[in-house]
Amino acid sequence: MHIIILLKPLAYLDPSTGSFIIQMLLAGLLGIAVGIRIYWKKIVAFFRRGKGAGVQDELDEMDEYGGKDDASSIDQDEE
Amino acid sequence: MTQPEKEFASFRDPSGFLFYQDEVLYRQVNQAYQPHYDRLMDSGLYQALIEQGLMVAHEEVEGISTPQPDLAYKVIQPEMVRFISYPYEWCFHELRSAALITLRLARLALEHGMILKDASAYNLQFVDGAWKLIDTLSFEIYEEGEPWVAYKQFCQHFLAPLALMASKDLRLNLMSRLFIDGIPLDVASKLLPLRTKLNLGLLTHIHLHARTQAKYAGKEVRREEVEGKISEKSLMGLLDSLRNTVKGLGVRISGTEWADYYDATNYSETAFEEKKALISRFVDQIQPAEVWDLGANNGEFSRIASDRGIFTVAFDIDPNAISKAYIQARKDRETNLLPLVMDLTNPSPGLGWAHKERQSLIDRGPVSMAFALALVHHLAISNNVPLPKLAQFFSEVCEHLVIEFVPKSDSQVKRLLASRLDIFDDYTEAGFEAAFKTQFEILQKAPVPESERTLYLMKVKQS
Repeated sequence: MHIIILLKPLAYLDPSTGSFIIQMLLAGLLGIAVGIRIYWKKIVAFFRRGKGAGVQDELDEMDEYGGKDDASSIDQDEE
Repeated sequence: MTQPEKEFASFRDPSGFLFYQDEVLYRQVNQAYQPHYDRLMDSGLYQALIEQGLMVAHEEVEGISTPQPDLAYKVIQPEMVRFISYPYEWCFHELRSAALITLRLARLALEHGMILKDASAYNLQFVDGAWKLIDTLSFEIYEEGEPWVAYKQFCQHFLAPLALMASKDLRLNLMSRLFIDGIPLDVASKLLPLRTKLNLGLLTHIHLHARTQAKYAGKEVRREEVEGKISEKSLMGLLDSLRNTVKGLGVRISGTEWADYYDATNYSETAFEEKKALISRFVDQIQPAEVWDLGANNGEFSRIASDRGIFTVAFDIDPNAISKAYIQARKDRETNLLPLVMDLTNPSPGLGWAHKERQSLIDRGPVSMAFALALVHHLAISNNVPLPKLAQFFSEVCEHLVIEFVPKSDSQVKRLLASRLDIFDDYTEAGFEAAFKTQFEILQKAPVPESERTLYLMKVKQS
């Protein structure tokens, strides 16, 4: 008999089996996506250069990186 | 010294719990959580979280008696949060910010060898102009290969309501009030328009996610089938994909219900400035510790208090007006303003287990001062609430009240009455004063120059 023993002793949320399975299904794709994204960001950043950021971009910048202290930080992104 | 008392809502997580001792809030860290707590503190994660302003700071304390000392590893005293707000009271932009912060927390944790085990929207609060995690015990040691245990919760608490708001209606945020653990994904999937299936993020994280859940519901899966299958890189990819999905959701803040309000009133420039000056005078006179601005629109008058360093919650029924208030507060890093969506004719009730997990609005008061500016006519005439009932409500909510009476001769009230029978015989200045005098002492009364309106400063009568 199969028993679900996925949960670590402390995990108290019901993560739902399906939610695990879909992560597994997505896993391969998402790993590859991370690789692509690094280059993609550079391409996007290149084309966006010079364009003023909108209000939403400004908020995102704050939410994701704590806000920009100087104009160049938007290109740093991460990695 | 009183007996330590457990915080009612703190019972789900076996890692620890919140409790009060002499009206101070503490958190017990249980022995079961010891390795995770030590990792949090030693790995540099705690320091990074505090430096980036992403979590409330805490101090370890000793000699505090706890309700369950046998389980205790440590007792910590977290920084106090002045007002706990709930996701169903947040505007779209607030929920979106909280979602991005949650993903940032998850990434930061992974960089320190830990994983965010909870992605509950209730664990975030807008404090001093920034979003902070308030549950210190949300991290556990990450073991490569394991899936993200909070993935479902993130989708239910953030992605589903955001997608519904962005693609259907902003008011659907209220659905979070119906489902205490976020909107079930099968419900979200059924309600979302077909075109959201063309959005890769929503297609996978909501539609396919819901389908997979249904397919595997009640089925048993062996550990080996899942274990070790999700590399750290894939997990980062998952967080990234969620981030892009959230960032792809947006709403335009179009003309709000109140957008042109200040033009359509019979305010002149002078009246507007005089009204501000009067309110400032009342605030300076009372010097309240906190203010609730009930019916705040975009926070114009709330800022009279918050700009003076007084913590102010700005409530309005219009999600667009609250979005405007929030965006300005966030951009300008205003530290004393918390804008929230609230329908005062049906304010947030007590919810969850025994109605006590999430507090009602009244239970979160009373506040030292409330503003009710250009509000009474909406409640009394549009919602038919008799004036004595209004007075009763305000007396339960606050100690001091700055309230504006808007008479029938005012253009706004005329507009409300234009399409209905005037059944409001006692809606006069005298009727208003008589009703409020049963609960309040009128400290000051001043006409707003160049308008038909009157401003009052009142104090609740001691019973």
